[in-house]
Amino acid sequence: MTALLELDELEVRYGAVAAVRDVSIGVKEGEIVGLIGPNGAGKSTTLHAIMGLVPTKGGSIRLRGSTLAGKPPESVARLGIALVPEGRRIFPQLTVDENLRLGLAGRRSRSGAEEDIDAVQELFPIVREFRRRQAGVLSGGQQQQLAIARALVAKPDLLLLDEPSLGLAPKIVDVVFEALAEIRRRGVTVLLVEQRAQRTVAFADRTYLMSNGEIRLTLTPDDAGDTDRMVAAYFAS
Amino acid sequence: MRWTRSLSELAPPALLVVVVGVVGSGTSPARQIDFQTALVSVAIVVALYVFVGNSGVLSFGQISFAAVGGYAAGVMTVPVELKVGTLPALAPLLRDHTIGNLPSLLLAAAFGAVYAALVALPLMRLSGLAAGIATFAVLEITHNILHEWTKIGPGAGVLSLVPETTGMLQATLGALVVMAIAYGYQRTRFGRQLRATREDPAAAQAVGISVHRQRLIAFTLSGGLSGFAGALYVHQIGSLTADQLYLELTFLSLAMLVVGGATSLWGAVVGALAVSGLDSFLGQAESGVNIGFTLNLPTGTRLVAVGAVMALVLVLRPTGITGGREFSLTWLRQLRRKERTA
Amino acid sequence: MTVIGAVDAQNLVDALGLGAIYGLMAVGIGLVFGVLRLVNFAYGQLIMAGAFTLAYASRAGWSTWQAILACFGVVIALSLVMEVTVFRPLRTRSPAVMLVATFAVSFLLQSIALLVVLKVQGQVGIPASTVAQLAQAVTIGGVDVRKVTIVALVVAIVALSGLALLLGKTTVGLQMRAAATDFTTARLLGVSANRVITLAVLLAGVIAAAVAVLLTASQSYVTSDFALHDMIIVLVGVVVGGIDRLWTATLGGFAIGFTRGVINGALPTDKSVYLPSALFALVILVLILRPAGLFAGGRSSVVDRV
Repeated sequence: MTALLELDELEVRYGAVAAVRDVSIGVKEGEIVGLIGPNGAGKSTTLHAIMGLVPTKGGSIRLRGSTLAGKPPESVARLGIALVPEGRRIFPQLTVDENLRLGLAGRRSRSGAEEDIDAVQELFPIVREFRRRQAGVLSGGQQQQLAIARALVAKPDLLLLDEPSLGLAPKIVDVVFEALAEIRRRGVTVLLVEQRAQRTVAFADRTYLMSNGEIRLTLTPDDAGDTDRMVAAYFAS
Repeated sequence: MRWTRSLSELAPPALLVVVVGVVGSGTSPARQIDFQTALVSVAIVVALYVFVGNSGVLSFGQISFAAVGGYAAGVMTVPVELKVGTLPALAPLLRDHTIGNLPSLLLAAAFGAVYAALVALPLMRLSGLAAGIATFAVLEITHNILHEWTKIGPGAGVLSLVPETTGMLQATLGALVVMAIAYGYQRTRFGRQLRATREDPAAAQAVGISVHRQRLIAFTLSGGLSGFAGALYVHQIGSLTADQLYLELTFLSLAMLVVGGATSLWGAVVGALAVSGLDSFLGQAESGVNIGFTLNLPTGTRLVAVGAVMALVLVLRPTGITGGREFSLTWLRQLRRKERTA
Repeated sequence: MTVIGAVDAQNLVDALGLGAIYGLMAVGIGLVFGVLRLVNFAYGQLIMAGAFTLAYASRAGWSTWQAILACFGVVIALSLVMEVTVFRPLRTRSPAVMLVATFAVSFLLQSIALLVVLKVQGQVGIPASTVAQLAQAVTIGGVDVRKVTIVALVVAIVALSGLALLLGKTTVGLQMRAAATDFTTARLLGVSANRVITLAVLLAGVIAAAVAVLLTASQSYVTSDFALHDMIIVLVGVVVGGIDRLWTATLGGFAIGFTRGVINGALPTDKSVYLPSALFALVILVLILRPAGLFAGGRSSVVDRV
């Protein structure tokens, strides 16, 4: 298996503050990789750097070996990376269907678009059921499913998720994680940023723990019970 | 420590203005007009800066305070015996009294401040584009009234025979006074709080700063200084029409501020002097000027060139010539270092 | 009471025509604001450039259609040049900087026009006779209706329905609507910023060219400050109506044009000297009561950011 996405000594600064320092992460094709850590650890910034939303100060970001540096978000999206942003960021005034169709903008090819929409609607039935409604009236959990569905119709190779379970009821969190497992079965690689540390560690093939802008630990599903190590890494400065 | 900082930030723009004043004094009376205009522009732009620069809110209304000040100073200083002829419809109170130069400057400042405070009370609750358009409406209303109401001024006609007391000295001192007050204000608690609301309104409010109150204070002070600058203006030219203190000057002064760098006093001064300087140089060139060779530009080029330079600076360096920072030696050093490495 | 008495059918028809033209200008401003969060003050100078094209075309003896075609060509080209040289480099800057930059552009274009006209003609303006026939009147039911009024209404209706179709039914229209709400997220989904912005600027340019033809038909002497005052009034109308959304902005533009038309026709000049003050006082009142716009529902998301 070759590395699909490779971050090498990535550094991102906001003015004088280093938000991300020396972060090296590899994501292989077909994997689910987790990224956990406390608020402000630099997890979202790492995703934003991959998408080209914030400029990098040092290091490199490569997709299948070719660099993403300096590419605007829309180009990164069309190279096959889709981000489900924090807070869902669906378009509340547009209908569910319109939201979904916006995801088509990131496709490399139009062919098979309708089939993919069907497949995604099967995965998230509410997206079909409410397709004529304004997206703004959906519940938080439904909006999250729509946001993931919208990312999937772009037919990405790599799906980035920024805290998809944030603010959701436990039952809906289960739905989201089940959907992620199904998405991987369909051949999409996943990089998952989460606050739910134990669940993520148990779920992902490999999980990086980030704190203060740096990677502190690399964990495997076997470490899911090892709370002491995680807690120590969370609060180490 | 604080003293040295104040000195190092206020001294360079003040020195620049003094240099302009001194150099100007050595030129022919005809050339002096250009220098005086530049110095009065400094006063107008710095007055504008007190509100726009510190608050980050665009206002198109500040020139109306300059207009009110200018008219007040002008109408009250025309000698009584001349008013009957030039301003026949004037209200008796205005017609029968005349005041001297200094009182007229102070009167203009007071008028500007009071008018601005009245306007600010409702308007400073607005922000963004709504605030911009509302201040623009103030400009339109002021212009409309000054243009029509002959009880308080010449109406659509020209206010003439105003004593021309703004020579090189008064222009220089006037600009310095406005700058000193502007700088004094931005170093007070009020000034710092307003600048905090500019950087992050939500955070500023969270620590208990009243955005409305701080904007109101700055708007009123800016209005007073604008009124004062308007008085300098009318005393420099000796006459005034409602159109002179209206749209064109509003846009020009805003452009000067942004070209110089809207968020610093240094930027306001540099912007006003640079654009005025360019403008008068090109004005000369339109009638032929010798700069090693004789440059002779067709009439109207001046405006085109000023417009082009303003647009260019804004596109290539949107933070303005100074980057919106106060003058400092470290900044100069950094700049030099950058040049060396480049 | 005399005011109301003086408003007759004739007056209302003229006011409708002006409302339609201002409504179109509002669409042009609103389209660009939607995707760029930029109030393009130089929009009036695009119209001026179109008017000068018509004027020069009529001097050169071109036919009406040739002149109109040239007008569209010049205005659209100028729009795109403006987007590439000014809007694009300033895209990420604060709205204040962008607004002042468009002032500078507006000032520059006006000065160029003045220079050219002064240099070439030795006077401040030139007549554009080629579209003047549009100003002729036809009588419908006892009311004299100038052809330009009919054309303005037709153009406004066609343009608005066309735009509604484009925005509502096409992919790129959907992308424009999405970009107008949340540009970053739209880009993350793969929506091309350049494509959406260029299209908005292009559409605004087409509308500016149409407005140039309509305005030149009714005021056929073209000067360097052509459309400047109209632009300012429309801008006020757009913000009062609610710049945040295209339809509220358009309605604001139409409303202020219609009001202006009615008042101009109804009031004798000596009574209307303080009218601007009254109107602008009303504008301030509306802004204080409804900062997000008269027609906008309570929210004030975008306007507050500016």
